[in-house]
Amino acid sequence: MAESAPGMLEKFQTMFDNLVKVTTTKAPIGQTPKQAIWRLNKATLYRYTPVKPDEERHRTPLLLIFALMNKSSILDLRPGSSFVEYMLNKGYDLYLLDWGAPGPEDAHQDLGDYVLEYIPRAIRKMKQVSGSETFNLLGWCIGAMLSTLYGSLRGQQEGLRSLILLTAPLDFTDTDQISLARMTDERYFDVERLLNAFGGNMPAGMIDYGAKMLKPVENFVGGYTRLFDNLDNTKVVDSWHAMNTWVNDPIPLAGGAYRQFIVDFYRGNKLMNGTLSIRGEKVDLRELKASVLNVIAMDDHITPPCQSARLMDKVGSADKLELKVAGGHIGVMAGSGASKGTWPKVESWIAARSD
Amino acid sequence: MSDAEKRFDPVKLLRDVRDGSMDAWAKLTLKLTSSHEYQRLQGVIMKPTFLAIALWRKATESTMSGVLGNLNMPSREEVLMISQRLTNIEMALDDLGAGLDQLRRGTNASTRQQRSGTGRSGDNGGEARPPLSAKGEA
Repeated sequence: MAESAPGMLEKFQTMFDNLVKVTTTKAPIGQTPKQAIWRLNKATLYRYTPVKPDEERHRTPLLLIFALMNKSSILDLRPGSSFVEYMLNKGYDLYLLDWGAPGPEDAHQDLGDYVLEYIPRAIRKMKQVSGSETFNLLGWCIGAMLSTLYGSLRGQQEGLRSLILLTAPLDFTDTDQISLARMTDERYFDVERLLNAFGGNMPAGMIDYGAKMLKPVENFVGGYTRLFDNLDNTKVVDSWHAMNTWVNDPIPLAGGAYRQFIVDFYRGNKLMNGTLSIRGEKVDLRELKASVLNVIAMDDHITPPCQSARLMDKVGSADKLELKVAGGHIGVMAGSGASKGTWPKVESWIAARSD
Repeated sequence: MSDAEKRFDPVKLLRDVRDGSMDAWAKLTLKLTSSHEYQRLQGVIMKPTFLAIALWRKATESTMSGVLGNLNMPSREEVLMISQRLTNIEMALDDLGAGLDQLRRGTNASTRQQRSGTGRSGDNGGEARPPLSAKGEA
């Protein structure tokens, strides 16, 4: 039966309100209460306000590290759809290292700065605040790459108990499978010219464009048709709005780090070849002795599964597990199915290594 | 089959056509943007663009540093240098703070040992775990 006139009117009103909302506002994201406990340059270490009493909490703190070129609020997208909120409810003492946005003065910052200056200092502070000598580390995307480097270089000395890697881009052997490797091929792409043109850093807009061009129709058109189809469904629109707010808020990447990603990783594959050095220290994956959970997203087009899988043969950990989950690069942790798929699996693995 | 199922829905038909064409378009575009030819073309376009941006940047920077110099103000490079030095100072202070904290904890632990005479200390260098309140912060 056709809808009644008042019903139709109400539907159009909802659609109009939703359209105005998504086109004129930014969704509130990253709302879980937290306190800044340490700062260095643009980086901030946050401690999320625990929701469980002390006796019900896991003793080992968990530090979250996200990528350098997007905001870490994806881990805490919105109430009811937040990994942070989920983990707090499971009784974790949760910390987040937020990198902030580098300015022109940070153009020289490279992986050595992030891995050997920022992360160890943030961990020192976290250990002081939590009172625990050991800790767990969860890295996502480039954050997983940084966490792996840290785990190999400093993990053993500094009390790294377990390392959770989500969609970690570590292996660049199979360049035919890696779209970004083709995009940054040295025959067509001059890193120095780009950094020189933009004052030393990789601009946020360029990173965003590069990521979106990996699936141009889906990213530039598909998202909006999905919104259009669900404009009368406020729940779907709110979810879309939150993700869209996050996606369209990238941050620049420090030139030094970007140069290393392209030259040492995408072109040289130095980590897997065993030839990578950070500030003169050779990165040996066999030195990574902490427990490792390697989460691979099977539909990831940014970090295809082939970029993470081979790590398991290289690390020195006795306790290691590869977890293949359905989903894309972001959807695996922030998609609608993550709270019933990836999160419980990741949480149960960490829980066994947190007391 | 019910009447509702039999009823012709033009919106659904249009939507199916749209989705089908978008799917085909997506596959075609992906094939195109993944090709080496596309990357080569992009490289050809980017090279002069980056060069032009760099020249423009250089020109504005040299003009601005001249203007700032005449106004007896620090140049961009000088400001950037100050910022980098501040970060280095921040790092040194952070290390100093952590060292002092370690020293304080060591002193507290030894004082406690002397008082109790048992020679035992807690897990955390003799310092109690900070309260992790469910309501507030440590």
